[in-house]
Amino acid sequence: MEKKKRRLFSKILLGLTAVFFYVPILYIILFSFNSSRSLTKFEGFSLRWYEKMFADSTMMQSVAYTVIIALLATIISTILGTLTAIGLSKSKKIMKGIVEQVNNLPILNPEIVTGIGLLMFFSALGVRKGFLTLLLAHIMFCIPYVILSVTPKLRSLDPNLADAALDLGATPMQALWKVIVPQIRPGIISGALIAFTMSFDDFIISYFVTGNGVNNISILVYTMSKRVNPSINALSTLVILLITLALFIVNIIPIVKEKKGSKLT
Amino acid sequence: MKQFRNMALPYIVWMGAMIVVPMLLILLYAFTDKGNDVATIRFSLENFARFFSDTVFMSVLKRSLYIAIITTVICILFGYPIAYVIANRSEKSKLFWILLITLPTWINMLVRTYAWMGILQDEGIINRMLGFLGIGPVHMIHTSFAVVLGMVYNFIPFMILQIYTGLTKMDKSYLEAASDLGANSVQSFLRVTLPLSIPGVISGITLVFLPAVSSFFIPKLLGGGQYVLIGNVIETEFLTSGDWNFGSAISLAMAVIIMFSMYITKKVDKDPAANGREDS
Amino acid sequence: MKKLIQFKNIVKDFDGKLVLKGINLDIYENEFVTLLGPSGCGKTTLLRILGGFLTQNEGEVLFDGEEITKVPPYKREINTVFQKYALFPHMNVYNNIAFGLKIKKEPKDIIEQKVKRMLKLVNLEEYADRNVTEMSGGQQQRVAIARALVNEPNVLLLDEPLGALDLKLRKEMQQELKKIQQEVGITFIYVTHDQEEALTMSDKIVVMKDGEIQQIGSPTDIYNEPVNQYVANFIGESNIIDGVMLEDYLVMFEDKKFKCVDFGFATGEKVDVVIRPEDLDIVPRAEGKLKGIVKSVLFKGVHYETIVETKVGTSITVKMMVSDDRPVYNESANEKISANDFYLDMDDVEELDEGTIVARADAQAWNPETDEYISIKEISYSIKKENGSYPVTFSTAAGTSVTVNMIVKDENRIANKEYQEEIFAVNFFKKADEIHESIALETDLKTWANASAWSLEDGTSVEITNVKYDFDPETLTPGVYEVTFATEGYEYKVDTTDRYEIGNEVGLIFQPEDIHIMTKQN
Repeated sequence: MEKKKRRLFSKILLGLTAVFFYVPILYIILFSFNSSRSLTKFEGFSLRWYEKMFADSTMMQSVAYTVIIALLATIISTILGTLTAIGLSKSKKIMKGIVEQVNNLPILNPEIVTGIGLLMFFSALGVRKGFLTLLLAHIMFCIPYVILSVTPKLRSLDPNLADAALDLGATPMQALWKVIVPQIRPGIISGALIAFTMSFDDFIISYFVTGNGVNNISILVYTMSKRVNPSINALSTLVILLITLALFIVNIIPIVKEKKGSKLT
Repeated sequence: MKQFRNMALPYIVWMGAMIVVPMLLILLYAFTDKGNDVATIRFSLENFARFFSDTVFMSVLKRSLYIAIITTVICILFGYPIAYVIANRSEKSKLFWILLITLPTWINMLVRTYAWMGILQDEGIINRMLGFLGIGPVHMIHTSFAVVLGMVYNFIPFMILQIYTGLTKMDKSYLEAASDLGANSVQSFLRVTLPLSIPGVISGITLVFLPAVSSFFIPKLLGGGQYVLIGNVIETEFLTSGDWNFGSAISLAMAVIIMFSMYITKKVDKDPAANGREDS
Repeated sequence: MKKLIQFKNIVKDFDGKLVLKGINLDIYENEFVTLLGPSGCGKTTLLRILGGFLTQNEGEVLFDGEEITKVPPYKREINTVFQKYALFPHMNVYNNIAFGLKIKKEPKDIIEQKVKRMLKLVNLEEYADRNVTEMSGGQQQRVAIARALVNEPNVLLLDEPLGALDLKLRKEMQQELKKIQQEVGITFIYVTHDQEEALTMSDKIVVMKDGEIQQIGSPTDIYNEPVNQYVANFIGESNIIDGVMLEDYLVMFEDKKFKCVDFGFATGEKVDVVIRPEDLDIVPRAEGKLKGIVKSVLFKGVHYETIVETKVGTSITVKMMVSDDRPVYNESANEKISANDFYLDMDDVEELDEGTIVARADAQAWNPETDEYISIKEISYSIKKENGSYPVTFSTAAGTSVTVNMIVKDENRIANKEYQEEIFAVNFFKKADEIHESIALETDLKTWANASAWSLEDGTSVEITNVKYDFDPETLTPGVYEVTFATEGYEYKVDTTDRYEIGNEVGLIFQPEDIHIMTKQN
């Protein structure tokens, strides 16, 4: 009896959790196909909001900026973050400690504080707000996550691995590229993945450092949401679709590879 | 392998410029007056005095803390049982539910918050359903309820994941030992599982409280233009009124308050009196 | 003595894999029982079934005559010392030990009294307020024991409790555990894979293998009278020899008859004969019951472990033809190439591929100035499954080539009925240089001669342990040499106090009571 009750409780709880998490998402998707302007009443299926979205150049521009910034920020922060993590793993303890502390600041600080700090920094330098400031800011908040996801892999590495490679005649670059990087690849990949989604989804920091018409999707949704505009639903649906697809691919590829691999052996 | 050390150098320079200098700028602006340019630095506490003496700002600060605390408490109250139930499922089921809970966090926060705007409307889906039951309409959008709901929706996954990780990392042999020593399942939970999962709850609190205190788009979207939290004040000072000195001072005050509350939370966790001899 | 615990035909599987295959075992009051076996033998599973953390698929567990399968762990009068102790990290030593008493809601003063007594028993009186995470392995171990014993269980289960400790501490704790068991006077059920631990502490040892009990008995019984080869090998060092029982008290092995004290076997029954190393003595060759040669000597601290070989294994001798042919030099391409003739067995012809040909012919091409290897691009040959000589040509991309012969000959193998083994090797050609340059000559000789050996019973491969040759590799000149390959023969491990030189010809003696006869295992 006791056990049955508990099982029932856990099922109900999980069911409600799923409803809570997914109803808003389904709601957006549903209303993106609404034929009327209403956000509350579904009056029939139509694609007019999608047509509107594709015709709206600011919307399309924001999608382009979001994707380009996310890709660039991911590539640059992954390379820089990985090199830094490797460099730090061979550095003195004090140096490592200081860098790790400072590196954690953007993660521990409220995003709004990071945002205004960068805003004042760029203005002090006299850099015009726009694409460059947005990209620099994104690289800045992505690198700490890359370092955080690569460092544990480096720590679990046999410290003699690089020395062994050098002993066997590899140059430092070869040791790095052929021995260390393959070992920490999972950390690098997950770091890149985190960096991409952080950049793709960022709103707060972007909001403070951008300007002159350079907007990403988040900023666009924020500024447009003051008035009812169902094209936002269409845009949101597009974002949901893209992210789900990306996650699906990232999660499915290793499984498929593994299956193929196991068939071969 | 000293040759690899130099690889960290570029980032150290970058870090100094992009992380440390902005922080120093906030300090600089917070402790100087409006209007004097950076070249003629004149130390001043006026910004802080203005903030802490103004009853309007104080009530905004109080409301922000209040909303953040309520949000955090709700996240613990719901997040803990959810994490506990998931942690006790089969391996496959665990993976499924964790994926289900993480998936929304990968979707833009703004988009997810925007979704609630429609749902919570007076003629929205919730009120429509309440109408069928003969209740309402209940006014929800642009209330504290809507703001807290939006925050819980955005931040509870962090709480669930932290507690879940803590629970699954816990060595199962502790529970076997408790059972071996005569504790039934309720006693085992209260005396072993719960105390050992506190660190997970603490890091969950950090991940929820911090963004909740400083949030400004959730109150704006779900609270309406009149609903002001501390984050909205900072936003206005920087992007509308342009008083960076005052804005920096408020940010600094907020950061200090957050750090102080984190310190207290961690201290409570590590207090030897809390895990010493229970009966002495 | 009273039967306290009875396992009746316990069967347990995990995901279809049987880990316990019908265990029957009785445990009495006040016994120190050890479940001994390698990891995966099911000993921990059996213990966890008794503790209530697992449920068997079939069979009954009786405690004091009552079936307890459905009784949850917290209602069993049994306590456990877990493998890694499972001390609650959020409680200090005192609270860990008091845990069970607090659950039972005993009065505070009683709890205090009992915990203090336990701390005294395990020598940790000063440590009540210590955090368990700050203690050493040995200390944590004692807390775990105190935490279990304070509940006054009838049975204490210990799951490899000394596994995490270093050797010296382990020895100390062994004695201490035995002392504690005698002092509190309850049944200890102890799981370990360490035979020495089992022999020192137990009243009764249960040897397990693959989910089955092999033997139950006192430490001396198990050591002196192992029931089969598995137990004899697992408990202590032993020499196990194939033998035949001629009649009661008379056994034959190594073609000689020996008196023994065992009886009850069928006439002519094949048996395993066990002689412990400490029961053998080395004597002058003439006086020995068995004669052999000292093969290796290892210093073990108090004694030497001397291995005496009484008989070599299955052996085969082949011819090595050493030439001093020079490599082919292609001046225009600045390349050198070399290869040698080689012999092939009929069976080899079928499985022949280019990789094998290159390896057997030892074909290689290189740049004589830089010594860098150049890959062999083309191999052309044709071969039939008939005795004869077949040419094979290796060439590089630049056209440098060399032709050698593959000589197919009938099989060259020797069977050994006594050992049920067969050995195979072929004659081979080599250049003197290659032998000079070899850095692991025995391994290379095996490869060149394609030497291998296998069991005639089940076809599994048998290691070739001896390679003998009568040339000096440093000064070898062209000619024909003999190389002998052999498997391991009969070897005896002997514990001696004197040091014997390798190669000494010696004799071995033993008394009839030193021989123990066991039924052969399948």
